[in-house]
Amino acid sequence: MLLLTLVVSMAMAGVAFGEEEIRPPDAVKTDLLELGKKVYFKRCVWCHGVKGAGDGPAAERLFTRPRNFLSGNFKIRTTDSGELPLDESLIRTVKNGLQGSAMPAWGEFLKEDEIVAVVNFVKTLVEDRDFNDAEDEEVTIMEFGTNPWNTTGPYHLGVPQDAIDRGKELFTKNKCFECHGGEGRGDGNPTMKDDWGFPIMAADWQQCWNFRGSRRDPFNPFHVVRTVSTGLNGTPMPNFKDKLTIENRWDLAAFVNSLCPRKKQDKLTSKPVPDFLISSSNTPGTIAEKIDDPMWQSPDHDPRIVERSEEKAGNPRVNYIALAGQITRGKRNFDPKADNLWVTSRWNEEQGIYYLVEFHNRFLSTDPEYPDAVAIQWPAKLQDLFGAEKPYFIFGDSKKPVDIWKASFMAKDYNPAGAPNPAGYQLDVTVEELNGNGFEDVMAKDETTVQVVDSIFHQGRVKVLFKRALTTEGEMDVQIPVEQFIPVSFMQWAGDDKETDENMAISTWYYTILEPAVDQGHILLMAGVMGTVFVGLQGWLVWMTKRTRKMYSDGKVKQDELPF
Amino acid sequence: MNKPLLSFILAVAGWAVFHYGVFPVFTPEEPGWILNRYVYYLVFTAYLIAVNVAMKLQPPMALRGLYVFMMGYYFYDSILYPHVPWTLFITYMMLWAIGTFLYVSQDPVTFREFRAPIVKTIVGEYKMARIVVFTVLPFLVGWATYNSLYPKFAEPVELRTVHPAPPATTKVHGKTYALEEVSNPFRVDEQDNYKDSFPFLDADKSEYMKYVTEGGTVFFENCHYCHGDQLNGLGMFSHVFNPTPANFIDPGTIAMLQESFLFWRVAKGGPGLPNESTPWSSAMPPWEEHLTTDEIWKVILFEYWYTGWHPRTFDEESSVG
Repeated sequence: MLLLTLVVSMAMAGVAFGEEEIRPPDAVKTDLLELGKKVYFKRCVWCHGVKGAGDGPAAERLFTRPRNFLSGNFKIRTTDSGELPLDESLIRTVKNGLQGSAMPAWGEFLKEDEIVAVVNFVKTLVEDRDFNDAEDEEVTIMEFGTNPWNTTGPYHLGVPQDAIDRGKELFTKNKCFECHGGEGRGDGNPTMKDDWGFPIMAADWQQCWNFRGSRRDPFNPFHVVRTVSTGLNGTPMPNFKDKLTIENRWDLAAFVNSLCPRKKQDKLTSKPVPDFLISSSNTPGTIAEKIDDPMWQSPDHDPRIVERSEEKAGNPRVNYIALAGQITRGKRNFDPKADNLWVTSRWNEEQGIYYLVEFHNRFLSTDPEYPDAVAIQWPAKLQDLFGAEKPYFIFGDSKKPVDIWKASFMAKDYNPAGAPNPAGYQLDVTVEELNGNGFEDVMAKDETTVQVVDSIFHQGRVKVLFKRALTTEGEMDVQIPVEQFIPVSFMQWAGDDKETDENMAISTWYYTILEPAVDQGHILLMAGVMGTVFVGLQGWLVWMTKRTRKMYSDGKVKQDELPF
Repeated sequence: MNKPLLSFILAVAGWAVFHYGVFPVFTPEEPGWILNRYVYYLVFTAYLIAVNVAMKLQPPMALRGLYVFMMGYYFYDSILYPHVPWTLFITYMMLWAIGTFLYVSQDPVTFREFRAPIVKTIVGEYKMARIVVFTVLPFLVGWATYNSLYPKFAEPVELRTVHPAPPATTKVHGKTYALEEVSNPFRVDEQDNYKDSFPFLDADKSEYMKYVTEGGTVFFENCHYCHGDQLNGLGMFSHVFNPTPANFIDPGTIAMLQESFLFWRVAKGGPGLPNESTPWSSAMPPWEEHLTTDEIWKVILFEYWYTGWHPRTFDEESSVG
């Protein structure tokens, strides 16, 4: 009998294992609706609209529009594709917000009961589905398994390479690149639409801090496992629960997350902390003018978090520069296509200064009237600035002009809808130097001294290598001193979004400094000299102490009395 | 066992237990009257004294001096919260070192006792100690020299004035306003009467909510990118700019300002700031370029209604009297 029970229970356990729980959706808690309505109409209505159709006053200018609740499609769930979410998922979404969109985290702003109430109120805004309909609606709660490598935050390092390699195979086999691009920058398909007919972009895996639902834990592979298991309702992202086993999904997540650069994250904004000082590393010998030279191949990871391989250990840091739309003056840009740039710099006396500027852009322009462009902005009269003073950060001002190095470019033989060229695309670059004396007063200079020595567009990433001599003849050119903090800022124009002139993405002022050549031998010599001098001092101390003792023992002076 | 050594072991082991075991207990997320870091520090100090007194260890003066100095270091490094900047930390530690020296030199006997082990090390009575100290110190000096000579660059610190003094008058859309006198023309009623009213739904029913709805609409079309959907200065673009956008939830911003100050700041934006407020990197637009005067006043009305703060006003009677 005992044996029989054991066998039966084992068989039942076997059946239950891996089986998902199916149940009716969480019904609306009607007693909370009054409070929920109050919260909704004070906090949420501005984006999600009076009826919840995602058409509040903010909606028109947002890319990634606010969610339209009417059809009951929600992205972040633990339920199967197309199904309604559980309350706990909605509550988590409200608490943590949705990274990479305008949805903020309400967890530290609203009280717990207010959040539960507003979630229940939002459920009543859904028109096409009914959370209370236990007969026609059911939800399947997905299995996600657990992290097989027991990695921990914040950076989830230590995932074995073979898991990442298996993930990469699954990535290829399941054609994830068709939307997410060959290196995961979301550059696969320019024509996607969401369920409401608005254009939509595949996620850029190399910027995992923008993954929806990843707040304060962007490197956790779980978020990828969840998305792969549940799909994202309302978007073209399907689920892969039948194509991939749970172990497969974790491997795929390992690959996806391995692409995301480990940078220190700001807790308040859940974005990487900008690198406010761009150190230009002094490079003796020759600086390579080819981007694919190992000299320019620093990994994006912060070297303090992910140790570099030996041959790249001496390479300069890749600096993270945050960008936002220019929403201050003139024609404003509310939906910039790039939200950051990556900058590496080297210099030497003979060749001058080099800045390698990189940014992600899923698709380049094919319209010669609207080329893509990127620029570096400097104070034109650095020598006239006093203290922390700088020109106005958008095109300078009447008293303090700026010098702008602008590279505009079109990719050669490029068709965004076609299969990508595995070697990338060469760029047709035009370099312009502008002087800005205020937002209305931007003029191109007659002579250019700045060069773009190499450039490429490859798998959704643009790389442009700027070069200039440290000093020039031009009166309105920035003259670049060594070992001095120089303000610098960046601008970027996305041609396929018809961005031009002041309609651009922009950074605030950063600093750059040309690190002086370090005379290692001299420093070592000085350290040796100081050490030796100290040895002498020690000898003197011993001699002095012994002499005093002798004076005591000889009775010349008494202890605790000063000798005269 | 040698008593000073026992005392030293008990001090170090006790510190390890207290620091890694007890300290976390005393630093919960919301500190109370008993469970806070300073009480913890007192308890640890009490432990250190009690264990030496109870076991009659009588540590020599040099060891006592070391305890006193290290307790100061521990306090300023780990207990005092928030941590003081390192320049201040160095200053505090120098003062603390002077205090420790006063303690050991309170009379010739204690001072001699304090000196004894040092002198014995120097003259070689403690042979091993002398060899170790006299070899390690020159290397430390060399290493420190190397470190201080090797060039390092950290971004420069920039200071700015957060609430600059407003001008007496400001000219917006061709009209000159005296900031002392001007008030919000849309503040038609006491805002607390509308705490539980709904924008949009009640916009037709009351004039006040109509203005709040219009102001909120302007805010969510223009301002939330920086100042955030929660008005807390954490909008989508906020992390890009330096200075970061103002947080209106904070009691130090709109809660302590007059509406006319806001009117001037909104209308003139970053470029209208005086030099000490680093106008060159403020991303605040001069909103007079994008909004009408009425829209500016309405958005200010909305900001107070949403956050629940009241604009600062001066009591007319008291300012006259």
